Amino acid sequence: MHFFLRFALASCLLVWLSGCTPVQAWERGTLARPEMALEPDTMEQALNNHVYFSKEASSGGNSASGGGCGCN
Amino acid sequence: MSSSRTLLALTASALALPGLAHKVKADAAPTVTTVGYRISAYREHDLDRANLLIGSAERFDIDIHQLSVLTPVGENHSLNVNASYESMSGASPWYTIARGDGSTGVVMSGATITEERRDISLTGRRYLDNGTLGLTLAASHENDYDSISAGMDAQRHYNNDLTTIATGFSVSSDDMDPTDATLFNRVTDASKLSRSVFMSVTQIIDAASLVQTGLSVTHLSGYLTDPYKFRDRRPESRTQWAWSTAYRRFFAGPEAALHADYRYFHDNFGIDSHTLELNWYQNVGDSLQIIPGVRYYSQSAADFFTTVSDFLSSGYNSADYRLSAYGALSTSLKIQWEIEAATLSLSAERYRSDAGMALDNGPESPALVDFRRLTLGIDYSF
Repeated sequence: MHFFLRFALASCLLVWLSGCTPVQAWERGTLARPEMALEPDTMEQALNNHVYFSKEASSGGNSASGGGCGCN
Repeated sequence: MSSSRTLLALTASALALPGLAHKVKADAAPTVTTVGYRISAYREHDLDRANLLIGSAERFDIDIHQLSVLTPVGENHSLNVNASYESMSGASPWYTIARGDGSTGVVMSGATITEERRDISLTGRRYLDNGTLGLTLAASHENDYDSISAGMDAQRHYNNDLTTIATGFSVSSDDMDPTDATLFNRVTDASKLSRSVFMSVTQIIDAASLVQTGLSVTHLSGYLTDPYKFRDRRPESRTQWAWSTAYRRFFAGPEAALHADYRYFHDNFGIDSHTLELNWYQNVGDSLQIIPGVRYYSQSAADFFTTVSDFLSSGYNSADYRLSAYGALSTSLKIQWEIEAATLSLSAERYRSDAGMALDNGPESPALVDFRRLTLGIDYSF
């Protein structure tokens, strides 16, 4: 677990430091495209999370997750 | 793609499931109302009849309807309502028995289980100069299971808006009242509490790529046993850690975007898992998008998982296939077509699981599930 925590914290630091290319506001048109969103289709993502939560032992990630269903 | 799709994607504030406070990417308040509807057919493959001892081999068929409305409220607020309805029927693995030839047979629930599930969530979001604040309330109802949850999330931009830090938490209270409890000696009334927090960092790398990494911790306490599995007994406390990283890159030549997502999961049941997902968003002209994807998942077994149900043990044990060691490969294809203010979508997924695909060796389950899924959707903005 300690290794896992160190690894996760190190990756956060790496992401933080990776912003070495200044991108001005007027240069962010590509980043604003819908297909560049972290979750382009939130309804599809919600269903994916629900299905995988029901059929696999893992859940969570970049969100806070709680209970939800008695899915078998 | 239209501005409405852009706004929907950028706000990403929909909380379609109870207890989920989703990550958010940007803080552009919506200026139009967007209504989305999805109808999905989820079909599990029959259990391999060579593994069936008693009961029905027909596993779950589920039809799912989802409705989402995202609307601006004033200039700096939005309201997002998500509702879904599921109707399901089929049989579920009950317990497993060792057979004389050394193999393991599965006893399925008899005939068919029929069930309905309804859930609704409301998210209010406030858009600030350099971030957002969100509040979500959600509820889910089944005839034997109720869940209510609440969550908050916040994000703030730094470093000339190149860096975004998001954080949030949610609490969920679930109550279960299993059917036929007296007949099958099940618990008659039980509850569990879930508390979850997350933090993520999103960094713009250059004009065509960004990366996000984050950590979530979820603690569950209460009755975590599956009341419908025979002789299933699990600890009453579970802590889950998930570290995930998402990478997005746009390629100007083919007019396409690559989505690469990885998640490492660990919990105190002894389960470790790895999930890797790749999707390719290929634009074809101005109105068509084709999105092939592949997802690989592998998990180790829980410490107390047993291939054969243990009828004598008074300790923790479970033969639930979801706690076994296995790997799964999912392939998907989605087509999205934009027609003026509407976007039509059709997507299909094929999911295969097998103990042989796992990264970790461990006790196998004869009840692993395969399924396919088809979804038809429409979004309309006005």
